[in-house]
Amino acid sequence: MNEVTSASGSMLSVMGYATELPWLWAGLSAYVLATVIAVMGMMRMRIGVTTIGAMTQASPRPHEKFVLLMVALGVALLTVAITERWMRLGHGPFVNLFELLMSQLWSLGLVFAVVYWRVPLLRPSAVVALPMTWVLGGWVLALQPVDTAFPPTYYNDWLWAHVGLGKFFLAFCLVGTGLAGVILLRNTQRFAAWFRHVPADAVLDALAWRFMLLAFIFHSLMLTAGAVWAQDAWGRYWAWDALETSSFLNWLMLGASIHARLTYRIPIRVGAIAIIGVFVFAFITYFGTPFYSTAAHKGVV
Amino acid sequence: MIRALGSIRLALVGMLLLAIAAALSYGNPVGTPVWVLVAPLAFLAVNLLAAIATNPRINRRGGLLVFHLGLLAIIVLAGIGRLTHLEAQLEMTEGTAFSPADLTHLAKGPWHSGALEQLVFVQGPFTVDYSPGIVRGLTHSQVLIPDGQTDASGGTGGWQTKVVGDDRVLILEGYRFYTSFNKGFAPVLTWVPDGGGEALSGTIHMPSYPLFDYKQESSWTPPNEKGVGKEIKFWLRLKTGLRDDAAWVLDGKTTTGVLVVNVDDRRVELEPGQSVHVPGGVLRYERLTTWMGYKVFYDPTLHWLFGAAIMAILGLGTHFWRKAGVSLQIAPVLAAIDAPEVPRASPPDASAGRLV
Ligand code: HEM
Repeated sequence: MNEVTSASGSMLSVMGYATELPWLWAGLSAYVLATVIAVMGMMRMRIGVTTIGAMTQASPRPHEKFVLLMVALGVALLTVAITERWMRLGHGPFVNLFELLMSQLWSLGLVFAVVYWRVPLLRPSAVVALPMTWVLGGWVLALQPVDTAFPPTYYNDWLWAHVGLGKFFLAFCLVGTGLAGVILLRNTQRFAAWFRHVPADAVLDALAWRFMLLAFIFHSLMLTAGAVWAQDAWGRYWAWDALETSSFLNWLMLGASIHARLTYRIPIRVGAIAIIGVFVFAFITYFGTPFYSTAAHKGVV
Repeated sequence: MIRALGSIRLALVGMLLLAIAAALSYGNPVGTPVWVLVAPLAFLAVNLLAAIATNPRINRRGGLLVFHLGLLAIIVLAGIGRLTHLEAQLEMTEGTAFSPADLTHLAKGPWHSGALEQLVFVQGPFTVDYSPGIVRGLTHSQVLIPDGQTDASGGTGGWQTKVVGDDRVLILEGYRFYTSFNKGFAPVLTWVPDGGGEALSGTIHMPSYPLFDYKQESSWTPPNEKGVGKEIKFWLRLKTGLRDDAAWVLDGKTTTGVLVVNVDDRRVELEPGQSVHVPGGVLRYERLTTWMGYKVFYDPTLHWLFGAAIMAILGLGTHFWRKAGVSLQIAPVLAAIDAPEVPRASPPDASAGRLV
């Protein structure tokens, strides 16, 4: 019974040329370049003894500043892409999957860049975390940049809180996943040499779970802000729609993992798999739900 | 005994049960018994209470204690909310006052005891903005509320106008009225029975507009002395200015409608003010008006729930902050491990042991 039909949606798509696309391409290219530099940096450390010798605590590995620069450039270019679309349509990137992916690419890059800059310890994990942006990037380019109309229930300040807090949740999850990926990769023959200089598993594990606890806090905030918005918009704070159910399960999964880890002596690698599991579930919640629910939230308009 | 009841292992079992319950609740399937959610939540509440009472790892750490107390409060408040809530739908004709008798799809908890009967407000006109492609924008619905109903001043005996819609909810005595996408037109009719019986006046709510633009039909059967009379079928031919290719505003004031009346095989078109004689009496089409659909919601725990959630998260934030502080103290250790001189890969898992 909702009035925004797919017919009207597709009709809207022909209305304007998506001027944001070149900027989107440029931003994604910067992310790709950042990934390539990060990987090459790790490979050089594997073989180049002199490079390793040149490294000190005070001066980080030389390639790292280029990685940071490229991610920052990617974020800046995506900012232009989002602004361009925003000005053309008159509303923010909140409505369809194209907009969701584009804005997540922006926020994941932004938060990752800040964490990468501030916490040097986790920089090697960029080789795991940055390729995730390729998945989103490939996906967003495969979609039609269909114009969207802003649903009436989105004229609500809680939208900003809900969406913004969710972005922090996913970004901190990505940071944890990067570290978990390093833990798993370094224990394989093929990649062991890449991560020779990276701190012990126990250190990475502690750091990764700290970020997961931070992710948990932001997830809790996102659920709270979402409930207030849902109450304002649809007259109910919780109704077990697709996104609500999925994100609640995700929250519970993370909470249970945190408890399990504190209760049982779970091997570090199993913990790392749990972190990746939480991230994958979060990914499905964010980007999979539109496939089994017509509107992100039931009765969204 | 209480210690065992508060074990984290039981909490994990409870979380698994709650996850199953959440999956079973997806889409609010009809027929899912209420205990599916209530049982794991009650289990977790008892488990948590026991843990808070006995486990120093929770009750000696302020932030964590506040977080878990917040979770407990949310479970209890959500339970109270379900027992005292009210949910319903409502269609209000422009110019008429709210009456609890008009509520439909009513569901309420056994402890519900609000002041529904005392609510007074009158529906005014409304407009709804549409973007090209008939995509609904903001609703602006005017309501008249007696002075003093929304505050404790007692009022001046006058009325105040409020515009509600979408995220501007009307809240009276804790009851929340949300405009819905359901709204439309209503011909005002008068029925004067043959033989001088008492005249009737009322409205017929046509289906939601513009959703059912193509189906503005309804019917009514007038009473007669033998009981039920002949069914009269109505079709409303509207001129709303509705268009697909440009922005448009749905507005009762600028809309006109011709009422097509069908009885037996007769078809008559009525302009406002015209009447027709049909078997049993005279039907007069007075004018066209509108109706607005609302969702009604009442739950006295809403603000408390929000407070409990924020309190819980602040507690967890404090706990995190303390932990982060600890991590700064171990920074020299981390730095030592991070030093490039470390000659080979650290042995998997076995290293320094867990840091938290
Ligand atoms: C219902 C029964 C519960 C019990 C008995 C319980 C017990 C505990 C205990 C004893 C700790 C401290 C562990 C430690 O630091 O050694 C803890 C921490 C924690 N609990 Fe719970 N809990 C319960 C429910 C929950 C739920 C439902 C959640 C959220 C899904 C949750 C989230 C957390 C978090 C985030 C921490 C902090 C862990 C950390 O410091 O890294 N708890 N819980």
